[in-house]
Amino acid sequence: MMYEIDLAVIGGGPAGLMAANTAAEAGAKVLLLERDGHLGGQLVKQTHKFFGSEEQHASMRGNDISTMLGDRLGSFGERVTVWKSATVIGFYEDGVITIDHNGIYKKVKPMRVVVATGASEKFLSFPNNDLPGIYGAGAVQTMMNVYGIRPGQRVLMIGAGNIGLIVSYQLLQAGVSVAAIVEGLPHIGGYAVHASKVRRAGVPILTSHTIVRADGAESVESATIAEIDRGWNVIQRTMKTIACDVICISVGLTPLAELLWQAGCKMRYIPSLGGSVPLRNDCLETTVKGVFIAGDVSGIEEASAAMVEGRLAGLEAAASLGFKSERYCEERNDCMEQLAALRSGPTAEKIRSGLACAECR
Amino acid sequence: MLINTGIATQELIKKLIPSPERRARGPYAMVECFQEIPCNPCSTSCPFGAILPMKDINDIPTIDLDRCTGCGICAGVCPGLAIFIIDESKGDGTATVTIPYEFRPLPEKGETVRAVNRQGNIIGDGVVTRILASKKTKTPLITVQIPAELVYEVRFLNLIDDKSNSEEPSSTYQSVVTDDLSSKVLDTVEIDDTAGTENDEDEIIICRCEGLTLGVIRDLIREGYTTVDEIKRISRAGMGPCQARTCGPLIASEIARMTGQPIAEIQPSAHRPPVKPLPIEFFLGGDSE
Repeated sequence: MMYEIDLAVIGGGPAGLMAANTAAEAGAKVLLLERDGHLGGQLVKQTHKFFGSEEQHASMRGNDISTMLGDRLGSFGERVTVWKSATVIGFYEDGVITIDHNGIYKKVKPMRVVVATGASEKFLSFPNNDLPGIYGAGAVQTMMNVYGIRPGQRVLMIGAGNIGLIVSYQLLQAGVSVAAIVEGLPHIGGYAVHASKVRRAGVPILTSHTIVRADGAESVESATIAEIDRGWNVIQRTMKTIACDVICISVGLTPLAELLWQAGCKMRYIPSLGGSVPLRNDCLETTVKGVFIAGDVSGIEEASAAMVEGRLAGLEAAASLGFKSERYCEERNDCMEQLAALRSGPTAEKIRSGLACAECR
Repeated sequence: MLINTGIATQELIKKLIPSPERRARGPYAMVECFQEIPCNPCSTSCPFGAILPMKDINDIPTIDLDRCTGCGICAGVCPGLAIFIIDESKGDGTATVTIPYEFRPLPEKGETVRAVNRQGNIIGDGVVTRILASKKTKTPLITVQIPAELVYEVRFLNLIDDKSNSEEPSSTYQSVVTDDLSSKVLDTVEIDDTAGTENDEDEIIICRCEGLTLGVIRDLIREGYTTVDEIKRISRAGMGPCQARTCGPLIASEIARMTGQPIAEIQPSAHRPPVKPLPIEFFLGGDSE
C-alpha cells in the first residue's frame, strides 16, 4: 500500500522537528520519519546550554529543547504522524520514498519532502585505528549522556572544534579523565569559551599536533602524538606517547546526503560545508522541485542554525502547497534575519563563503 | 593567545578590571567573553540592563558597572560559563568569586576547596560561602571566599577529598572498563621515534566492514583503479553495513593524494537504494497494514 501525505520530513533532529512543527502549524499534514526509537536526533545527548538568542532557545540545554519540540508536535493531533524506528532507505525519481519501519517495508508518496538527515562523523586513518577503545565523539556522547555508560577511564580527544571541546567537558562531568585534546590546526577551532572551560579543569590543548598511532594488545593502551608543521607533516623528534584507554575522534562532520543523491538533486563538493551538499534556492528548495533541505545535510553548522533552517523549510514546503498563513511573510523574514545574524560573525566566515557556492536560482 | 591555548591573557583580563571605587563598592560581574560568537543571553537576561543590548548578536558583551548589582543571573544563563561574580567589598584581605560549576558532587557550604586558576593549577584554598542551584539554568553558582589577591586568578575549584572517585557519582554512570588503569603508568612518555613508516601505514584498516587495508587500496590505485566506484567494484570497499560512510571519504582522499587530483573532483560512489543492507525477505514482506 502507498501512503499519501502532504509533507514527509526525514529526520527528527533539531531541523526536522522544527520543519514538522512549522508545516503542521501552517495546516499541512505531516509525516515525520525518525531512524531512532526516539525523537531529538543529536539534541538528546547535548546536555550543555545552547548559544544563540532566545529565538533559538539559547541557554536551554539540547535535551530540554528536544523534549519541548517533541511535545509541541503532539499538540497538532492527527495532523502530524510520527514514525519512530523508521529508516528511509530509498528516494526514487518519481518521488516515492521507501522506509524500513520497525522491520516492515513501507512506501510513501509525499507531495513535498524536507530532508533533514543531519551528518555523519569523519574518521581518521592511522595505524591501529581499528583497536577497541577508539570511538567517534558522537558515540562517546551517546554512551554517556543517553545510556549512562562511561567509555573508559582516560581519554585522548582528537579535535578541538566545538564538538571535541564539549565532549571533553562532558567526559569530565561524567568523572572520566581527559589526558589532552589534540588539534591539527595551529589554533583552537571551537569557541574560546568552550576551550577555557576544559582548560581550567586541567585539560591541556595541544594545537599543531596530530595522532600518529594507537597501541595496545587487546584494546587501546596508549596513543602516540606528534607536532606537525603547516603542511601537516610530522616534525621529527616531537613524538610523545600518552597512556589512555579511549581515543575519541572528533575531526568534523560530513552531510548525510545519500537520499538527495538518489533523488537526483544537483550536488556540489564544498569543503567548508563539510563535503557534498545540495544546491538550493533561498527557500531551501533543492534543484528537484518539492525537495527541501534543512540542518547539517545542507552544510555543517550549529544546531541553532539548523532549527531556524528547519522552520524556514517547513514554512516554505507548506506554503508551496497553499498552506500560507497571514504571517507567512513576517515569519519568512524572521527566519532570514535570524540566519543572517547567526552567520554574520567572524566564526561563521567559512559557512558564509561555503553557502555562497551552494546557491542556485 | 586565547585562540591557541584556551587561556585568556593577562592583557584581556586587565581590561575588565573596574576602577578601585567600583571594586570597593560591592559585587560585580566579570564577563570573560572575548570572541565574537553568535550569543546574547547575558544581555537579554540582565534585569538591570547592565549588560548592554547588542546591535549584532555577535557583539562582545559590554557591561555598565554602575548598573550591575552582581546578582549573578547572567552567570547562570551564560552558555559559555564565562561570567564570574567578584566581590572585593569586604576589605579584610579576602574576596569572593562566584563560579559556574556543573560537576557532581557539589561542595557544601563552609567546605574548604582548592582554588584553581585558568590554567587548571591549584593556587590556594578557598571556603564555600554560598551555593545557588537554579532549577531553570541547571548551572549551580558556587561562591568561594579566597585571599583578595587571587580574585582575578581563581576561576575553578577542585574538591579536596575527591568524592567523585571515592564513590560513584550517583548511579548515573557505569563503567565499561573493569581493569584499573590507574595501576598502569599514566605519565606521558617521550620517545624519539621517527615518523611512522609506509609499511606501518599499509596495515591501517580503511574499510572495516570488508577488512580492507590502506595497502590494498594503494595497490589498487597503482593498478589504475582511480575512482571510488572502481575500487568498490573490484574490492567490495564500502559495501558493508556502513555503506562507505566511514571509508568512502578516506578512499577519496587517498586517490587524491596519489593521483594529484583535487579532492573536489573525485566523485563519491553511486548512491542507490537501499541506504543500508537488508535481507531480500524484507522487501518481499511489504506493508500488510
